[in-house]
Amino acid sequence: MSYEPKIVGFLCNWCSYTGADLAGTSRIQYPPNIRIIRVMCSARIDPTFVVDALAKGADGVLICGCHPGDCHYSEGNYKAMRRFPLLKKLLQSYGVEDDRVRQTWVSASEGQRFADVVTDMTERVRALGPSRIHAALLADQRER
Amino acid sequence: MGQLKIGVYVCNCGTNIAHIVDPDAVRETAAQLPDVVIARSYRYMCSNPGQEMIIKDIQELGLNRVVVSACSPRMHERTFRAACKAGGLNPYLCDMANIREQCSWVHADRLMATEKAVGLTRAAVNRVRWQEPLDGLTAEMCASTLVLGAGIAGLTAALELALAGHPVYLVEKTDRLGGNLARVDLTAPYLDSARDLLTERLEHLRENPNIKVMLNSELKNLSGFIGNFSATVGTHNGHEPPEEKTFHVGNVIVATGYREFDASRVTHYGYGKLPDVITSFEFEQMLRSGRIQTKSGRAPQYVAIIHCVGSRSREFHGYCSRVCCMTALKYAHEIKSALPESHVCDVYIDMHAFGKGCEDFYRTSSEVKTLFLMYGKNEHPVIRKADPKDDCGMLIEVDEKLSGERVEIPADLVILMVGMEARPDALEVARLVNISADKDGWFIESHPKLDPVATTTDGIYIAGTCAAPKDIPDSVAQARAAAGRIMARIAKGKIEIDGVFAEVDGDRCSGCRMCNELCPYSAIEFDADKRRSHVIPAACKACGACVAACPSGAIKGRHFTDQQICAQIEGVLA
Repeated sequence: MSYEPKIVGFLCNWCSYTGADLAGTSRIQYPPNIRIIRVMCSARIDPTFVVDALAKGADGVLICGCHPGDCHYSEGNYKAMRRFPLLKKLLQSYGVEDDRVRQTWVSASEGQRFADVVTDMTERVRALGPSRIHAALLADQRER
Repeated sequence: MGQLKIGVYVCNCGTNIAHIVDPDAVRETAAQLPDVVIARSYRYMCSNPGQEMIIKDIQELGLNRVVVSACSPRMHERTFRAACKAGGLNPYLCDMANIREQCSWVHADRLMATEKAVGLTRAAVNRVRWQEPLDGLTAEMCASTLVLGAGIAGLTAALELALAGHPVYLVEKTDRLGGNLARVDLTAPYLDSARDLLTERLEHLRENPNIKVMLNSELKNLSGFIGNFSATVGTHNGHEPPEEKTFHVGNVIVATGYREFDASRVTHYGYGKLPDVITSFEFEQMLRSGRIQTKSGRAPQYVAIIHCVGSRSREFHGYCSRVCCMTALKYAHEIKSALPESHVCDVYIDMHAFGKGCEDFYRTSSEVKTLFLMYGKNEHPVIRKADPKDDCGMLIEVDEKLSGERVEIPADLVILMVGMEARPDALEVARLVNISADKDGWFIESHPKLDPVATTTDGIYIAGTCAAPKDIPDSVAQARAAAGRIMARIAKGKIEIDGVFAEVDGDRCSGCRMCNELCPYSAIEFDADKRRSHVIPAACKACGACVAACPSGAIKGRHFTDQQICAQIEGVLA
């Protein structure tokens, strides 16, 4: 069987999760590799969730929130945005490729955009091949 | 947490889920998961028998956790929480896996979609183990309502509430009541006078002591939550800065309306350059003054009406403005009755006559000898000045779609049917009352079909054209619907506040106060004596920003705890 990447998506309830639902009601197709986890706001996404997902075997992690200036909680997405570069830097130092973890904005009316983001992300992660983090952690555990 | 007994319910949603996802495979896998004591699949879980199934299992099998794999929780979470409650289970011990909107409707591969549905269901089972019974709170409901905008929607909503005996603050940005309707002469399709429609409303308004009208006023700030908002309104009364007043309201209706499309943006129609090319609103002005004439003061012999100016176009607005077609037909009637010898020509893309009485109106308009010329969506007519030897002021060239010929028609007066667009301050209003706007600037409803006047912020309602172009009956219906929703809330007396909010563990709080600054609702207070922060539950909106940011991990986001989310991550990746 060919390699099918596993992608975990953390989506804010008000914009992005609703946008993903809209992709559904509009029957816009995208690859089935993403598994969506709903949080109320992108600001709730603790960087450790991303690390946790990678450690448990995700090949990619997508974070989606409301567009800047359009957050349901007025500025939660800015908080998420500021947190992200530090997380990326940390992941980079562990050798996690840039395309594996992405943060972007999808509004409640952007079903097509959500499908496009997921399609693009899936192809990029597929091109990278399986993430080595999960395997490395398992090997590490066995050694101990 | 005692002995866990989880029930899993997989919905077929008719064939909506079952045509792509194999519900039996999902059910069988779920049945094997630890602590799952029953797993069932059913045609429609949201139906009465579906809900009864859950209620019965809770009671007979002693379920203490419920997972429903079905549609989006945004659709039916409330339904299944209510079913749990009916069965005697705390509603927060229920979780949903979205295998319709985010699975069967977006994937075509049965195998992979089923595998995904299994993963999402397993994640929900994992998560629900960590879910805790939560209790909501109750708060007082203030019976006053703030209505923004005094067009037909705002006026109607304000009156509806005031007639029921509730206080209303009606805030209008301009110096007069009536909004865009006050600029209109007759209305389609029954040719009632707009002035009469408004006068009836305004008379009632003047007589009603419950309405406080605030002209030249704008909302400056809104804080609090449903039932307990604090609104600050600034009034321009010639002094600078504007005079500000703050008052207590329970609900807000946003009825800020639209503005007309700026016709000068469409360069090929020559608006602003050719003096006898005017907008529909300028023509309404003419009709109201009782004189249809060209700039030179003559009665026009040829009148052309061009539809869809700024609407249904790739360049400007993609949407239909809904009222212009019928307004254009109304013009044909009004022109023909004022100037029986004149020739009226409608240059249109499609005739949208969807409302009650509209198709009949279209038919009778065709009978008054109006010439209809159809143009292609992206092949707009071109207007130019006529030669002095011609018998008219302008000439319009149209690639007529039905005949397939290029037609040239004379015109002395051209009326551009300008569409509706979101007001330039729409985003500012949306920010103030914490609602969303779509790509065109129209405010977004809680659900486009099932909850059209509520928004995603409890206590904030939208009515009329601020939500999308619509006609007078639809605006009035929305205004009354919004007022009705509010009256139902007021009648209940108290309001129930969701049990989902943040909590500070006092023993772990270091008193750094980082969360105090972070909270957009100032819902976290600092106790200087104990040197600890605590959350005011009624003010907290559960965004979880403080939860992720607390350096001591002392804040728990109820119903979105770290354990719950991590268990979900594990579930989707297992």
